[in-house]
Amino acid sequence: MAEVVLAYCSSHAPMMSSAREAAPKEQREHFIGALDAIRQQARDLDVQACVFLSNEHFTNFFLENFPQICVGVGERNWGPTEEWLPIDKVWIPGHEGLANHIMRETLDNGFDPAFSHLLELDHGIMTVYYELDQDMKLPLVPIVMNCAVPPLMPVWRWYEFGKQLGAAIRSFEGLERVAVVGCGGLSHWIGNPRVGDINEEFDRWFCERLERGEIDQVLDMKDDEIELAGNGNHEMRTWVAVAGVMGGAPADVLAYEAIAPWITGMAVAQWDTGRGTARSVGNASGAAPTSPVTAGD
Amino acid sequence: MSLYQLNRAVYDWIRAGEVNSDAAGDGRAGFDLSRYELTDDERKAFDDKDVAAFYTMGLHEVLINRYARAAGYARDDYRKILEPFGKPEERRGRWQK
Repeated sequence: MAEVVLAYCSSHAPMMSSAREAAPKEQREHFIGALDAIRQQARDLDVQACVFLSNEHFTNFFLENFPQICVGVGERNWGPTEEWLPIDKVWIPGHEGLANHIMRETLDNGFDPAFSHLLELDHGIMTVYYELDQDMKLPLVPIVMNCAVPPLMPVWRWYEFGKQLGAAIRSFEGLERVAVVGCGGLSHWIGNPRVGDINEEFDRWFCERLERGEIDQVLDMKDDEIELAGNGNHEMRTWVAVAGVMGGAPADVLAYEAIAPWITGMAVAQWDTGRGTARSVGNASGAAPTSPVTAGD
Repeated sequence: MSLYQLNRAVYDWIRAGEVNSDAAGDGRAGFDLSRYELTDDERKAFDDKDVAAFYTMGLHEVLINRYARAAGYARDDYRKILEPFGKPEERRGRWQK
């Protein structure tokens, strides 16, 4: 049976790739340093495949047909699509066995995800995937989520989906070591008069809920409350889903920085799968990331 | 004509310039807007790259963001364009002390 050996979430602002140097040095080193540490841990753990959850940005789907959940079941997917994103455009290997198992198991357990045999992957997945495997050869099962076009699947349902996703991965017999990664958030606004604002108070509150294992305190949030931390904050659903994969266990928030040039509250949080976190195994280099609960308060 | 048509036109224009699995991303030049049922104002907004008009017409905010980037607007620039449409927020979230 497969084991989830690595579980984490990361913000995915495209500027982390396209305008990295625009961020203040200390902030970018803190945020990217956390992803570097996780990459090293993934190598140490010899991760065989990864499942990524991120949101659809009108890259694969449009208003004619907009699934709440879509699992990429193909042998390969393409990305990144953005012509300006400085990551090589390549075919990313999929994992048909794991992806179809996830489809079957979630269909059998209360969810009705769509599926795609070819997904175009934008910055939502590609920025974070690239930081995990810069060769971009690690087999990837993408799961695309609706975080943009109402009506949106409620937050609590994403937690429940995450639970079923975790059970599906753990019952798959074709692999031994799988990573689960959520990408998106935290607070940010796009395409409206508040673009550039960051709601640091929400971000730190949310990270604190993760660290305390209190994800239940966000599960009843409605869309209008979520949007008080930005229309981009709907992407917090990716974090909630991974929390569901990990059964609501406390997470270790490796980094939080409100990075103004990237217009986003940028965080990295990791769950201890029993293999330790990047911090506990000592991969977090230099100054250890500081807890968002205390940093800057 | 319909907000769907405007959204669709902008979406197709954005996608025409992206590097997809079956396209090299050079399709924005000569983009054929006549395929869409747009009003004169909508067509003018498209021709003028008028982000403020798109916003007031109700173009999806994800598309506005992607359009602005593809059309060459820096975020600071398009924020300045949209700022006049901002409204004070009086609601409070559960995280606010």
